[in-house]
Amino acid sequence: MTQELRLPWDDDPDDLYEHAPCGYLTTLPDGTIVKVNQTFLAWTGYTRGELVGHRRFRDLLSSGGQIFHETHYAPLLRMQDEVHELAFDMVCADSSTLPTLINSVLSRGPAKEPRAIRTTVFNATERRSYENELLDARKFAEDSERRVKVLQEIVADLAAAPTEAEVAEAVVRAPESAFGAASSSIYLVDQERDLVVAVSSTDPTTGDWEDMPRSSPRAVARVAERGDLHVVGSLTEAKRHFPDLVDNMRRSGRNTVVLLPLTTGPTDEHAGAETLGVLAFSFTGERKLSDGELRVVRLLGQQAGQALDRARLYDDLRRREERAIFLARTTRVLDELHRLVPRARRLVERAVPEIADWARLRLAIGTPGILEDAGGPAPDATLLAQAEQRASVACVPVFPQPGDALDCVVLPLTARGRVLGTLSMRMAPDRRGAEAERIFLIDLADRAGLALENARLYEQERQIARTLQRSLLAGELPGGDPRFALETHYQAAGQDLEVGGDWFDAFLINPDRLAVVVGDVVGRGIDAATTMGQLRSAIRALAGDGVGPARLIEGLDRFVERVETGHMATVAYAEVDLVTGELTYSCAGHLPPLLQAPMGPPEFLLDGRSAALGSKAGDTRRTEHRVPLPAGSRLLLYTDGLIERRTRPIDKGFELLSREFARRRDSPLPGLTGGLADLLVGRDHADDVCLLCLSLGSEERMERSLGADRSHIALLRAELRAWLVAHGIEPETRDAVLLACSEAVANAIEHGYRDDPFGQINVVATVTGDAVEVRVADHGTWQGAVADVARGRGLQLIRESMDQVLIDRGEGTIVTMRRSRETPI
Amino acid sequence: MTDQWVTFSKFGDAELVSLTGEIDLANAGDIGHAIVARINEAGKVLIDLTTVSFLDSAGVRLLDALVGDLLVHGTRTRLVVGERGAARMTLRLCAFREDILTTDLERAAAELT
Repeated sequence: MTQELRLPWDDDPDDLYEHAPCGYLTTLPDGTIVKVNQTFLAWTGYTRGELVGHRRFRDLLSSGGQIFHETHYAPLLRMQDEVHELAFDMVCADSSTLPTLINSVLSRGPAKEPRAIRTTVFNATERRSYENELLDARKFAEDSERRVKVLQEIVADLAAAPTEAEVAEAVVRAPESAFGAASSSIYLVDQERDLVVAVSSTDPTTGDWEDMPRSSPRAVARVAERGDLHVVGSLTEAKRHFPDLVDNMRRSGRNTVVLLPLTTGPTDEHAGAETLGVLAFSFTGERKLSDGELRVVRLLGQQAGQALDRARLYDDLRRREERAIFLARTTRVLDELHRLVPRARRLVERAVPEIADWARLRLAIGTPGILEDAGGPAPDATLLAQAEQRASVACVPVFPQPGDALDCVVLPLTARGRVLGTLSMRMAPDRRGAEAERIFLIDLADRAGLALENARLYEQERQIARTLQRSLLAGELPGGDPRFALETHYQAAGQDLEVGGDWFDAFLINPDRLAVVVGDVVGRGIDAATTMGQLRSAIRALAGDGVGPARLIEGLDRFVERVETGHMATVAYAEVDLVTGELTYSCAGHLPPLLQAPMGPPEFLLDGRSAALGSKAGDTRRTEHRVPLPAGSRLLLYTDGLIERRTRPIDKGFELLSREFARRRDSPLPGLTGGLADLLVGRDHADDVCLLCLSLGSEERMERSLGADRSHIALLRAELRAWLVAHGIEPETRDAVLLACSEAVANAIEHGYRDDPFGQINVVATVTGDAVEVRVADHGTWQGAVADVARGRGLQLIRESMDQVLIDRGEGTIVTMRRSRETPI
Repeated sequence: MTDQWVTFSKFGDAELVSLTGEIDLANAGDIGHAIVARINEAGKVLIDLTTVSFLDSAGVRLLDALVGDLLVHGTRTRLVVGERGAARMTLRLCAFREDILTTDLERAAAELT
């Protein structure tokens, strides 16, 4: 037990009762109030007189409390004699209610009869409002849970929306399910074009669908600009702040409009947040949004903004990926072509139609430059020329601005600090992300510039190699010696290939010994041309009296040990003794020379063979072989391009060459090698072709047959001239014979074969000690030859220049002309 | 096409046509067209044959027609041809008009003034 502390002041029991921190009521068993303390009176505003003897406890309760009193309080009290913590609302004197908690005790008399009820009343105002708050909080939590659920669904939709359009579709549905909005619309900000564009709406009959500049005074543009949530609660507010909304609100019966900026971050942190669009939604009737709702609205704005941002990045990424693929493909297909013009052509063909509907490439390379067009229609020529000029001079791309008359981009193409030209294109006006587009175009121009520069360098190198090769091949060949004549032909590969390493050469080792060479260096391009030049010089240096073909080629083997690029080059080398007519030859991996003696069929010289120069695996024991060359023999050296063709076995090539060479045994030497090349390889061939034909010894009697073709007269004349020179015919006689022979052949072509382009003309020339005789025979008919004034002059010339002329007309015509030697005209 | 046989230039105030190489039936026609196309408006024409190494009757026919046309149009003309050589031989054999043949370009030009 504790002992009661003695207080330092007297505690009056009455005062304690009256002013206790709770109300006291004492009632009769029927509830009639018989005693009440001051505290209760003060809380309820009643006077003691109003209550004591006049009211029952239940009279002080609210209607709900009175029912509770009947059903719970009274029965419980009667059964238990006491009740605890029952909540009742007291109706105060001023009709306000006072939340209370009640404890009551029923006291009974000696016979257990109910005598009085003592009740303590606790003021529960604070507690009740706390409970209310709890309830409110729960309701709030439930509401926000619902909204969050809606928001979560939207966020899930947004996450699955890869494009701007899909994001817009997901966002525009949100306000109806989350807030019960009547309709909503979404607008996007187009920064490149400085516009706000309406893209989607749940009710397209509302709102204004025209694009507006970002600086527009219209509500949507203003909100996009400010980046703040705006709630227009009524028509009155709309009139005051955003008059442009009023008509629409009236027309569609809306009283509340929410304008929500779609931002990449929280709107209170303006610094980093970018407004990408505006979601506008409206309600019929004035709708007040709770703080919680506004929070969710803001959150929706951020989520949608971030989704838009993501979609834009994704769009950009996809576009960038497409562009990267385009650039990579373009680089690859340009690399497939080496030469400049085809590469230029392919560039414009890549651009149209994939990225442009018209393109023009202008290159200031060579004269008059290169111009390639694709697609159409072409823009105004003058404006384009100005833009091209501007782009070239300043070396900066020209991009069209809105409203420009010239709707093309003009890109300068540069490489190694030099402007090669311009690429102009007209592209679709779409161009969101125009900045990315510019970067792409500049990248394209860089790559195109590089590819074209490489092609230019390739052309240049090719040109150098060709020039080098030509200059080496164009060297003076020995001539003017009546004991031999040379004819050569070089034909570069078609199909745009680089120069090869084929070459020919002929030189006199001493006045009576002639060397002839044909060789082929492995590879192409400037290296091959250079090596060819080196080998050619090496052969000239190695050749000498008493060396001979086999030792010369051994020397070349030593030479290619130091000149790596000369490895596996092949050479056919021959020396001719001009006094004895003996041929000594050796072939290092080269095709066999072809010999046509004056009589009999041609034969391939298959001896004196060994492996290519510097060969490791082949037989490099160099041998040589000797054969006599009768006067009038022709020896042909050639490279493999002449007979090797993919469509024909090499045996066939040899056979064909042999046959054609034999068929031409009587053809003039000039033009012989070119004719063989034309026949055997044609124009479009994949390899270089090189031929050298040596005609040995002057025939006493020159026999040639030629076709009825005017251009053949000069060839015959060339050979006849050489033949006459070889026989020491003095110049005046020589010129006279040449003139007469030419006229006779011309007559045969003009008259004998007027109607027969395939006719053959046979020419036989003989020299005797005192005269030159030429016979020209055809099988045509000289109709009206003498009557023809022009041809008449030809006949006159023949008669004037020769001493004797016989014209025999039988089966065709034979003109026999003779001129005495050393007879002045 | 015909550049290897014929080139054009000015000698003083005269149009100078320089022929070179072999002129025969095969190329005379084309050379003629090239010359006519060029000297249409000329007042004086010099035709230099000094480096012609062969001239046949078709070449003579060409020169004949050319000189005839020029004279009809009042164009004064001279042919310059060496003392010797194939071209001189052919012209001589054809009895070409000696009065318009000269051996020297300077003299030919002087004769036209």
